[in-house]
Amino acid sequence: MGEIATACQHFAAYVKEFGFDSFSVVHAFFSACVTKEARRRKALSCLCYTCGGSGPQLYSCLHCIYFGCKGQHILDHLKTSKHVIALELCYGMIYCNSCKDFIYDQQCQAIAEKHLRKEARNLNKSVSWRPWIPSQVEMNLLRQHPKRRHVTPCSSIGLRGLLNLGSTCFMNCIVQALIHTPLLRDYFLSERHECSIKSSINCLVCEVSRLFQEFYSGARGPLSLHRLLHLIWNHARHLAGYEQQDAHEFFMATLDVLHRHCENSQNNESDKNSIAQKTETSNTQCNCIIDQIFTGGLQSDVVCQKCQGVSTTIDPFWDISLDLGEAQPGGGPPKSLIDCLERFTRAEHLGSNVKIKCSNCESYQESTKQLSMRTLPIVASFHLKRFERISLINKKISTFISFPSELDMTPFMSQKKDNHGDYRYSLYAVVNHVGTLDKGHYTAYVRHQKDIWVKCDDDIITTATIKQVLDSEGYLLFYHKKVLEYE
Amino acid sequence: MTLTKSVDQVTILKGDRSKLKDLLRSRLIECGWRDEVRLLCHNTIKEKGFNLTVEQIVQDVTPKARARVPDSLKKELLMKIKSSLAAQEGIEL
Repeated sequence: MGEIATACQHFAAYVKEFGFDSFSVVHAFFSACVTKEARRRKALSCLCYTCGGSGPQLYSCLHCIYFGCKGQHILDHLKTSKHVIALELCYGMIYCNSCKDFIYDQQCQAIAEKHLRKEARNLNKSVSWRPWIPSQVEMNLLRQHPKRRHVTPCSSIGLRGLLNLGSTCFMNCIVQALIHTPLLRDYFLSERHECSIKSSINCLVCEVSRLFQEFYSGARGPLSLHRLLHLIWNHARHLAGYEQQDAHEFFMATLDVLHRHCENSQNNESDKNSIAQKTETSNTQCNCIIDQIFTGGLQSDVVCQKCQGVSTTIDPFWDISLDLGEAQPGGGPPKSLIDCLERFTRAEHLGSNVKIKCSNCESYQESTKQLSMRTLPIVASFHLKRFERISLINKKISTFISFPSELDMTPFMSQKKDNHGDYRYSLYAVVNHVGTLDKGHYTAYVRHQKDIWVKCDDDIITTATIKQVLDSEGYLLFYHKKVLEYE
Repeated sequence: MTLTKSVDQVTILKGDRSKLKDLLRSRLIECGWRDEVRLLCHNTIKEKGFNLTVEQIVQDVTPKARARVPDSLKKELLMKIKSSLAAQEGIEL
């Protein structure tokens, strides 16, 4: 490609004689299908003139009206009619029969791009994957910064220690987990967050965006999170102060502030656009990056014991808190994450004291309640409730709870039958609490690259084995979905 | 009319074909298939010299590349095509 406008003299001669019209029309109708009418035409009449088949790969002659299957059918036509240029319809590539090869032409590529965008708009989808063509700005940037960094399995890029600013390990471990969330990393490193300069000093999303740049800058020294801490203090007042905080509480507060700040910048954007669009977006569910990654739906079914009528509600959740205490009658404490999840989704009798009005039989009845996962987030985070408060005394439960590196959530879904979804998850971060309640310390294990784990203990980063990770106590567990769905 | 031909027609008509192709492409990139095939092409060029046409590379690489498409992906796509056709006919799967 590159500097040459067209790679082949035969095509140049063709263009001189016929222009770009045939290419443009054939491409718009039979390769990109820019309208419904184009799709109709393609479906009904785009068949091989030799065998009548519909593909899989058809070529169209650009000299006359002729479709032919890849190979002998189109080649015979080009040979007998002495036509030279044909268009491959699957990918929209130009074929020159004199060169016996595909050729590139800048002008045709520009036309093709335009058609593909039009097709995407017509079908209400995003544009199909295109090879990256750097813009002028990007080319200049690449020229100005000739140093390239190659990421190898042993490279430490993306790892930074975090200074302890006085009992701030609760923040450091959560930040390490967030920074190592694959989809969040992709979002921030592709600079998708847009904020007005006025609000960006106060915007936590901008601060996290800056942090990602710091983590991936290639520098190795530890970072100080004072700006992040200050922002959290300002926006989540209950966490302000110098004492040790609960990492889980900090995680939830951080998600909440990030979510709110994403909304702010989205609203700013729609202010600039039309008001009609604003009302449209406010009606639909929040689509910010935090909700896209962390929000799932928890289904609660309350079943009336008299008429078996079911009343179902679905509530959004960002994480799942799991009880570790003794299960009621003789159940014994859970030993694994799976035990905890089974208990979480078990039907529970609400007791004879609690009578709920059944909407079906219109009377107050005893009922059972069962929770299940209606929809799962891309990141499933589990909070093992190790801190208990029984009659004013805080207690830590340090029992070992095993958790797997690969987790299948299918058994905990609401709809088990007729469910083709893939609900496999893999572990990518574990936050641990060591010590007692008042004198404790938080550390985090994070998956740095595939199968490479590191332990983050404030400013000290060391490599770890998966066994060490799975043998650790576990306070917060972060799992990432293995297969992402497309819409 | 053959089955393939009617499947082709229905999916093209509804515009699903283009979406299915996008899905297929994304999945092949995700599972590393594209990188593998790129490597196969690389090897073919190294082996046979630089004066190859695309057609020659395609001929050499296609059987190996086809064999490397994961079964789970074929299954997923088949499911998607089935439900697309069923939706067209108003049948519930």
